[in-house]
Amino acid sequence: MALGIRSLHPVFAGEVTGLDTARPLSRDQVAAIEAGMDRYAVLVLRDQRLTDQQQIAFTLNFGELEHTRGNAITRPAELRLDPAFADVSNLDKDHRPLARDSLRRLYALGNRLWHSDSSFRAVPATYSLLSGRVVVDKGGDTEFADMRAAYDALDEATKAEIEELICEHSLMFSRGQLGFSEFSPDESEAMRPVRQRLVRTHPVTGRKSLFLAAHIGGIVGWPVPEARAFIRDLMEHATQPQFVYAHKWRQWDLVIWDNRQVMHRVRRFDDTKVRDMRRTTVGGTEMTVAQAA
Amino acid sequence: MISIRQITPVFAGEVAGVDITRPLSREDVAAIEAGMDRHAVLVLHDQRLTDDAQRAFTRNFGVLEAAPGGHIATAAERRLPLDMQDASNLDQDQKPLARDDRRRMFNLGNRLWHSDSSYRAVPAKYSLLSGRIVVERGGHTEFADMRAAYDALDDATKAEIEDLVCEHSLMFSRGELGFSELSDQERAMFRPVRQRLVRTHPVSGRNSLFLSAHAGGIVGWPVPEARAFLRDLVEHATQPRFVYSHKWRQWDLVMWDNRQIMHRVTRFDETRVRDMRRTTVAGDAITVVQVQAA
Repeated sequence: MALGIRSLHPVFAGEVTGLDTARPLSRDQVAAIEAGMDRYAVLVLRDQRLTDQQQIAFTLNFGELEHTRGNAITRPAELRLDPAFADVSNLDKDHRPLARDSLRRLYALGNRLWHSDSSFRAVPATYSLLSGRVVVDKGGDTEFADMRAAYDALDEATKAEIEELICEHSLMFSRGQLGFSEFSPDESEAMRPVRQRLVRTHPVTGRKSLFLAAHIGGIVGWPVPEARAFIRDLMEHATQPQFVYAHKWRQWDLVIWDNRQVMHRVRRFDDTKVRDMRRTTVGGTEMTVAQAA
Repeated sequence: MISIRQITPVFAGEVAGVDITRPLSREDVAAIEAGMDRHAVLVLHDQRLTDDAQRAFTRNFGVLEAAPGGHIATAAERRLPLDMQDASNLDQDQKPLARDDRRRMFNLGNRLWHSDSSYRAVPAKYSLLSGRIVVERGGHTEFADMRAAYDALDDATKAEIEDLVCEHSLMFSRGELGFSELSDQERAMFRPVRQRLVRTHPVSGRNSLFLSAHAGGIVGWPVPEARAFLRDLVEHATQPRFVYSHKWRQWDLVMWDNRQIMHRVTRFDETRVRDMRRTTVAGDAITVVQVQAA
């Protein structure tokens, strides 16, 4: 069966049919997915019963794996999954839901804020690939917002104002927004802010997009409160319903998104239930702006 | 003869037929109070108020709130006396505050959805804002109807939040914008207070969401979980269908019921003079018992 893509939303997001991502892909299939990503920015594939190894193999079609080495607050010994994965579950090493006041759970609540994966790295990610191994019945949708359409909808004065702005991104800022701010000196050093252009241009399509994320804590040259108020306004603009696709998970869904073109977030769910989601990430290849010395 | 035209499908009314620069009859006061109970926001155009006339009009509805604790400006830095809240962008010499002035940083918190004085144990009843000098572009005041927002929640959420108690402080709203360098004295002044999340209007009996950027926690909840949940509620409660955006004309007087409404100001060019003066009718009850200081 030929690979096909059906549109899920008026401005972006497509559903792919006719592809088994558990098996090796032909060059044409890889090209078709890449072309679909350039156009739709989010692709949904149903019924992809992936093992971890198969997910890694599929991901490698699109570039190098971004190795997370855990996150800022999870020690290697606490990892449930291979370091090639970002563990987006609510589970501990023994596959049990994290306790309500567990630091790891509270840290993971940052995913409820709109963000772009790895925008806090000097070289931010391209694709994220999220596999729904165990999904929840109610809530836990992943929502996506099209940052190209959001950019296009800005008035000309705003486009001119933001064209050259540089933002500072750090996990400290997104976690700080939720009042999670107790970090050790080592953690703070690991989360040192990086710089990203606010307006970026897609290397293939040439389309501009807003590079927004909850990880943003400032704009270079702006007083912090003014920067944050302005970023909040842009976020509100960029996440209006006409730019948003809400994905309701079925088990074995694989959803791929281009972090250069979309923001995403998870919605609230009963996290005493098991939700096992595993993400692989394609590392980016370039910075959006020179870093501060 | 007072008449009120509803502005949006769910709330906000435009009042005609009254000059509030002059003393009001008992009937006029009752008509405005009834309008507030119903519409929660009232707009009155062409009211050329002096400060004293604004105070006099405000006293029709209760006692003026004139307590310190609402701002970091020192007495010497204040442009207006304590019974008149300065919602302008001006310093005591009537000049726009410098971009990096600490008072301006603090005032930027008004860009976040909030309810006036929700950080006081006894939160405010009405706010009355007079547009003395308005800006041409931006600087709208937006209002969101917390009764309609409550009504639109699903039953499971209504049950979940019914007895929740939030902690409110100016520290939290300012902290959201990264303004956190406060003196010990300021911290003491901004000590959190408790407020019910669901409150009931004393006249209409309608329930509403008592949300505000000042809310930084829910009693008994881990802080990040509380903040993520409050953000979801604020997002729900400020959908366009619950919002009225007021574009100012000079001499508009807009009054709102903080027990039923959140509001915020939208961005404007702050090198321009925007002189807005607010009087506030103090509330008369706490929403929940306070904890004693340790």
